[in-house]
Amino acid sequence: MKALVVYPNRELLYAASTLGGEVAALVFSEREAEAVKGVAHRALVAEVDPRLPDAVAEAVVKAAQSYQVVLLPSTKNGKTVGGLVAQRLGAEFLTDVLSLRVEGGVLKAERYVFGNKAVAAVEAAPPVVVTVAPGRFQGQPPAVQTAVEKVALQVGSKMKIVSVEEKARGAVKLEEAEIIVSVGRGFKKKEDLQMAFELARVLGGQVGCSRPIAADLKWLPEEHWVGLSGKKVKPKLYLAIGISGQPQHIAGILDSRIIAAINNDPSAPIFQNADYGVVEDLYKIVPILINKLSKTKG
Amino acid sequence: MKVAVLVKTALDTGQLRVRDTVATEETPLKISDIDRNAIEEAVKQKGQDKAYAVTVLKWGPLQKKAQEAENVLREALAMGLDEAYLVADERLLNASHMATAKALAAVVKKVGADIVLAGEATVDNYTGQMPARVAAELGWPVVTYVRELKVEGGRLIARRDLEDHVEVVEVQLPAVVSVTREINQPRIPTLLAIRAAMKKPVNRLTLADLGVEVAPRIAAAYKPLVIQRKKVVIKDGTPEEKAEKLIQYLRQEGVI
Ligand SMILES: Cc1cc2nc3c(=O)[nH]c(=O)nc-3n(C[C@H](O)[C@H](O)[C@H](O)COP(=O)(O)OP(=O)(O)OC[C@H]3O[C@@H](n4cnc5c(N)ncnc54)[C@H](O)[C@@H]3O)c2cc1C
Repeated sequence: MKALVVYPNRELLYAASTLGGEVAALVFSEREAEAVKGVAHRALVAEVDPRLPDAVAEAVVKAAQSYQVVLLPSTKNGKTVGGLVAQRLGAEFLTDVLSLRVEGGVLKAERYVFGNKAVAAVEAAPPVVVTVAPGRFQGQPPAVQTAVEKVALQVGSKMKIVSVEEKARGAVKLEEAEIIVSVGRGFKKKEDLQMAFELARVLGGQVGCSRPIAADLKWLPEEHWVGLSGKKVKPKLYLAIGISGQPQHIAGILDSRIIAAINNDPSAPIFQNADYGVVEDLYKIVPILINKLSKTKG
Repeated sequence: MKVAVLVKTALDTGQLRVRDTVATEETPLKISDIDRNAIEEAVKQKGQDKAYAVTVLKWGPLQKKAQEAENVLREALAMGLDEAYLVADERLLNASHMATAKALAAVVKKVGADIVLAGEATVDNYTGQMPARVAAELGWPVVTYVRELKVEGGRLIARRDLEDHVEVVEVQLPAVVSVTREINQPRIPTLLAIRAAMKKPVNRLTLADLGVEVAPRIAAAYKPLVIQRKKVVIKDGTPEEKAEKLIQYLRQEGVI
């Protein structure tokens, strides 16, 4: 199937290449066109502000006529553009797909549903709009010749961006972390999180958190937030400390290799979703873990 | 300001009935959590005008679920909405999102609104596509992932919560807005409000009433996600011994 990739990145281009047809990348500047040279058959340059979903959607609808699939990243603007485009094209919109293949002229995909308690196998006839769950399509798009073309367009946006504020950000890249020490409401005060940071340091990992820690208490910036509405992570080890293990949290950690949990409540649901659980007060056990691990690690 | 709220009568995923497959027909419905924030915002914004709930019933069996959906909508009414519209039609069960958006937009057109509010995504499917689809259908601007909203003189100013930054944007009304959970604290209706809601109108509509045609283009099959975890729980011993055991296990797994 011929695919149009919007906001292209390597993963999307690879996913598109597996569909077996021509791959075009819709980009918003010459510089971005340069970046897809050699990995897409066509680079379509539309001169619109990529931050404006309605303007981007306009460009996509214009470019999409000769493509059966539109692929977007699973970002907030990606989904907004996807929704607009899908309705205008009369297309289905499959979000956060885990897999993707073409069979008998139909696109088949899987995605998590029902608070990540089930997997849906969905089939849709083209045209189809798709966003891809990050980290699911690992591979290199094949090397191809790229033709660069302009998409002629006269679009205004109904939305005006008045200002942009950066969110507080550290060097956290939870999606890439091998070890995550994650904290929940079991921690009584913000200062106590230091323990988790210390444990993460001796383990060579990063610190994650449940939603209330970032959203309600604001003890940590949102980049630490793991779950359905937060980051999806896939570390070797996910150590959940003082986290109850509600489905919305579990939704973010399904792909972890090993899940370990510390919770003083033996009936906490996290134990049903963990490989190793310790029933203990975190205030007692975390200092001991730090101590023991820092000794052996030197 | 006349407000329409898209309230999804969603499957209560906390009570998902699972056998070899997912028994959606046995799983109860509830208000999709984030839609409560949209309802709360509607009640705040409506002023002297009316705010109404619109839902398309996606899950069957139709008769049983339509009754359940009515009860769910009563909750939205108890939170302060004035009237509810339930589109219950066999052809919309498990239907495409495109058809759902057409039906939702048709109700909005029928009743009229200055602003359509919705949650950023629904708890059962979590695709987050409906606000943009409804906006496209209505030809209105869409502002998604809003955590703060202000309306003045026909203009809407919103703070959009994106991945790494917050964007302050402006559009003219009418517009479709999706909200995040951070926008407000949804109220818990009082007993009095719950009683009053029993008297508010819940209107049932079909596709024929709305003049909407739909053609199915999607099929979905659900299977439970079986999580295979070892579930080894360390309960006995001193904190010291437990810590030692945990470290041992994690070493054996080769993860530390
Ligand atoms: C639509 C929607 C989206 C959501 N998205 C997310 C999301 O992305 N991520 C997310 O995390 N949540 C999300 N949630 C919220 C989720 O449902 C839970 O409310 C949240 O995960 C609970 O966080 P918690 O485990 O830290 O807190 P709690 O549920 O309060 O759990 C605290 C735990 O700490 C334990 N504890 C207390 N004291 C100690 C101690 N001294 N030592 C050891 N253990 C202790 C308790 O036994 C308890 O199990 C979402 C909810 C909805 C409705």
